[in-house]
Amino acid sequence: MAIWTILIPLLPLLAAMLIGGLNFFKILDGEAGEKYTARIALTAIGFSAAVGLGLLGANWFAGMDEAYSYGNWLSCGGLAVDFKLMTSGFNLTLASLFTLLLLIVMRFSVNYMHREAGFHRFFFILNLFAAAMLLLVLSANAVFTFMGWEVAGVCSYWLIAYVYDRPVAAQNATRAFVTNRVGDGGFILAISMALFWLGSADWQVINTGAADLTQMDATLLALGFALAAFAKSAQFPFTPWLARAVEGPTPSSAVFYGGVMTHAGVFLIIQSRPLFEQAPLAMLVLALVGALTAFCSYWVGLTQTDIKSSQIFATSAQLGLMFVECGLDFWNLAAWHLCAHAVVRSYLLLIAPSILYNTQGRPTKSISPTFANFRWVFMASLQRGWLEPALDWALVKPIQQLAKDMRYFDEHIVDSALGAPAPAIKAIASLAQWEEQKMGANLISEEDRFALGSGLAGKLAEWVAALLHWFEFRFILRGVGRDSIRLGRHLGRAAIRFERLLLNPSYLALFVLITLVVARGYP
Amino acid sequence: MTILSILLWLPALGALSLIPVSANNTRVIRTLSNLFTTGALLMACWLTVSFDASNTAVQFSEIYPLNPKLGSAYALGVDGLAIPMLLLATLLTCIALLASFSVSEGIKGYHIAILLLEFGMLGVFLAQDWALFYIFWEVTLIPLYFLIDRWGGKRRHAASLNFVLYTMGGSVFMLLSLLAISQYDLEHQGSLMVSMGQAAQNMPVIEQVLVLLGFVVGFGVKMPIFPLHGWLPLAHVEAPSPVSILLSGILLKMGAYGLLRAVVMLPVAAQVIQPLLVFLALFGMLYGGLLAWRQSDLKAMVAYSSLSHMGVVLLGIASLNPTGFIGAILQMTAHGLIAGAMFLLVGLLYERTHTRNIQDYSSLAQVMPRFAILTALTLLAAMGLPGSVGFVAELHTLIGGFQQWGGLMVFFSLSILISAAYAMRTIGLLFTGPVKPQMQHIADLRPVELLASGVLVGGIVMFGFLPGPLIELSTATVGRMFVLIGERLPAWF
Repeated sequence: MAIWTILIPLLPLLAAMLIGGLNFFKILDGEAGEKYTARIALTAIGFSAAVGLGLLGANWFAGMDEAYSYGNWLSCGGLAVDFKLMTSGFNLTLASLFTLLLLIVMRFSVNYMHREAGFHRFFFILNLFAAAMLLLVLSANAVFTFMGWEVAGVCSYWLIAYVYDRPVAAQNATRAFVTNRVGDGGFILAISMALFWLGSADWQVINTGAADLTQMDATLLALGFALAAFAKSAQFPFTPWLARAVEGPTPSSAVFYGGVMTHAGVFLIIQSRPLFEQAPLAMLVLALVGALTAFCSYWVGLTQTDIKSSQIFATSAQLGLMFVECGLDFWNLAAWHLCAHAVVRSYLLLIAPSILYNTQGRPTKSISPTFANFRWVFMASLQRGWLEPALDWALVKPIQQLAKDMRYFDEHIVDSALGAPAPAIKAIASLAQWEEQKMGANLISEEDRFALGSGLAGKLAEWVAALLHWFEFRFILRGVGRDSIRLGRHLGRAAIRFERLLLNPSYLALFVLITLVVARGYP
Repeated sequence: MTILSILLWLPALGALSLIPVSANNTRVIRTLSNLFTTGALLMACWLTVSFDASNTAVQFSEIYPLNPKLGSAYALGVDGLAIPMLLLATLLTCIALLASFSVSEGIKGYHIAILLLEFGMLGVFLAQDWALFYIFWEVTLIPLYFLIDRWGGKRRHAASLNFVLYTMGGSVFMLLSLLAISQYDLEHQGSLMVSMGQAAQNMPVIEQVLVLLGFVVGFGVKMPIFPLHGWLPLAHVEAPSPVSILLSGILLKMGAYGLLRAVVMLPVAAQVIQPLLVFLALFGMLYGGLLAWRQSDLKAMVAYSSLSHMGVVLLGIASLNPTGFIGAILQMTAHGLIAGAMFLLVGLLYERTHTRNIQDYSSLAQVMPRFAILTALTLLAAMGLPGSVGFVAELHTLIGGFQQWGGLMVFFSLSILISAAYAMRTIGLLFTGPVKPQMQHIADLRPVELLASGVLVGGIVMFGFLPGPLIELSTATVGRMFVLIGERLPAWF
């Protein structure tokens, strides 16, 4: 029974591959293909939801094992990573809930995305995201959770940049993705710490083994996961990415930033509850960050004038509250809050256009005059707490400066030592040629400077080759070849001259005379 | 008459049959000579098929005593070392004739010379008697002299004279060495090669070393080994390209072939001069590679790369272990195919553009895609890319050399790096880059040319992926050689 769990993430993955492959080979294309794409996507996620609910029911009536192992994925030395899925508990409940939400959102998207240019692309990404998210929720191993985590992040990046020809969309997508990567750093660090200290990244091992860790180690491990969760769930100071992320189509906003993906952070915290219980400091951090986020988001949300932004800040405020609940040890409340909020927020985001339509003409309720009189505070709210410029100043600028310095080092020291590859010189762009020349790789000149190298090794080769060429020319080609021939001719000429001398009659007579004298024996 | 004699005399017969044909009747001349070379190729193929690779003995032997007093005989035979060379020689002669359609004057003499050259080359590889070997060695010289001197490039007279003087000078040393061995009592068992091999064991070590040095000079000129390569650049550049194919494809291998036999005959001396051989091999590889890198003349580049690649053969021989020997034999085949293909393609390009300067070319991939892909494959094989026969050979030699000297092989890697540098540069300069108007109207390879180069490149790639049969051919023979070497080496080595 438990073995069927794998179908929950597998079916959307197969659907994604099918849609992507058929679209790639132009079998599913344009408006004519929309029907089939929709059918594939809905069937897959529908069956997924059915399997999830079925398993939930089976769990209800007859308890099942907590996890099911499908085999070893990687083993290296003492390190082993199993592909293992959770088959019961909060994971399964949440997975079932998410499949239902995804089913609803996909059904909604079929009409909403009708005749959009990227209909098939949208469904490919959405299915891939569904598979990733379900793997994230169901995986019993932090490594596979991380895989789902990453693929979900990439899907989010693709959907924010759905209209990739708009520079704003592309820029926002990059910003959101890079912010998320900060959290990924924490996740990877936590996984490696778990592998190092506990020898396994299974959630069960991490949670049970946490009791044996020193408080310091447990805190570090917990903070690693907390950092990942903060980034994914848009907690302080990562809040701004969420506001940029609503750039994508409405259904994707609903599922990514309202219902499903932003909750991954809270889910991660709840998943590693025993670990956090071993680390009071980490719990404190959770509560503080959550409270700060909730407060800030509420405050900024007050001045938002468009519906999507106000919804988004409401979302991060709610997520902040969940973190507070986790930090204060109200784990069950947090879990219920998560599920309820996922449903409500998805609904609210999906009907956002109708809300606007229904409330047309009715002004929004203005805030109480006591708040309104604080100008600076109002300003702070309008500017969203100057959070983004502050982050730019604190993180982005120094990194850019560092990159600039590195680049200078690379161009002026490393490039000139290593040399530029010759084929690049053949580029016709005059700017490229100028740059190559500046680096010293002067291969374009027409004069007889053919074998030229650049960089240390290149120069060395050039000089040695020139020296060898001189040697070859002077000694081997001219020395042995031409000079020996010349010497031979010279000797030959001398021999001929001598021969002529011999044949000269007077000398000939002299020689004959000498021979005769010798033969007779000179007295 | 048995099969080896038929194979040997077939080209000579072909040359004879051309004599009565009128010099103006070019069609008949070409057909006849192609017929005879193809016949020889087919015979060599048949010989390979019926050759028993697991048998270590010399096969298909024929012995007719010529001079019983001296012990010399008309002794032919093949073993695993000769078979690949025979195949290569007959194949490359066929291909050289296919590439000879551009030769327009003195066709009759040209074909007679080529056939005689093939006769000499086959004789060298078939001979099982040092006297016969020496005769055939000298026989190759005469047609080659005329081929370069009559049909060569601008400096052909200097080139041919230089070539003959060098080779004759080397031959003198080889002859001296042979005479030095034959001074000792020959026991007249089997052919002169066998009996001289035994007689050589009775010589004092110092004499053995001197004799081997004589061989090294004699064969080293042909091979060529570093300071004795003076004839090579000139001869390769000035010879017509079909003759360049034969020169680098087979004639260089004659030197390596003879050296292998001499080393087996005198293993004690080989042990003594091993460091010298290794130094010459490594230095020659770097020297040839760097000079090849420096040449802007395509043919000169290939000529110097030949020097570099034959250094690999010498290194394999000098390693004096089975892996190294296998590597040397493989590299002989590999270089035969690669250098043959290289000279063929360069020659075909020269026919179309009449320039050999690399810098004159550009973006040929657009106008000559077939030529581009074949040349690129050959150049990649020349730098020893995995998947080409060059890689298999270089790997064997590298392993053999590493077993013997370890870290010294870093120079080997360096020379491979250099060969990669000029190969990649040549590919880049020939096929990519800005479009030049004068390079826009060049015809791609015609079917005959495609066949000729396709066979060679196909061989390069096929033996790169399936080197098994090629290695199999020589393994047993190399094993026998090491049994002999083991017997001849005194225990204290």
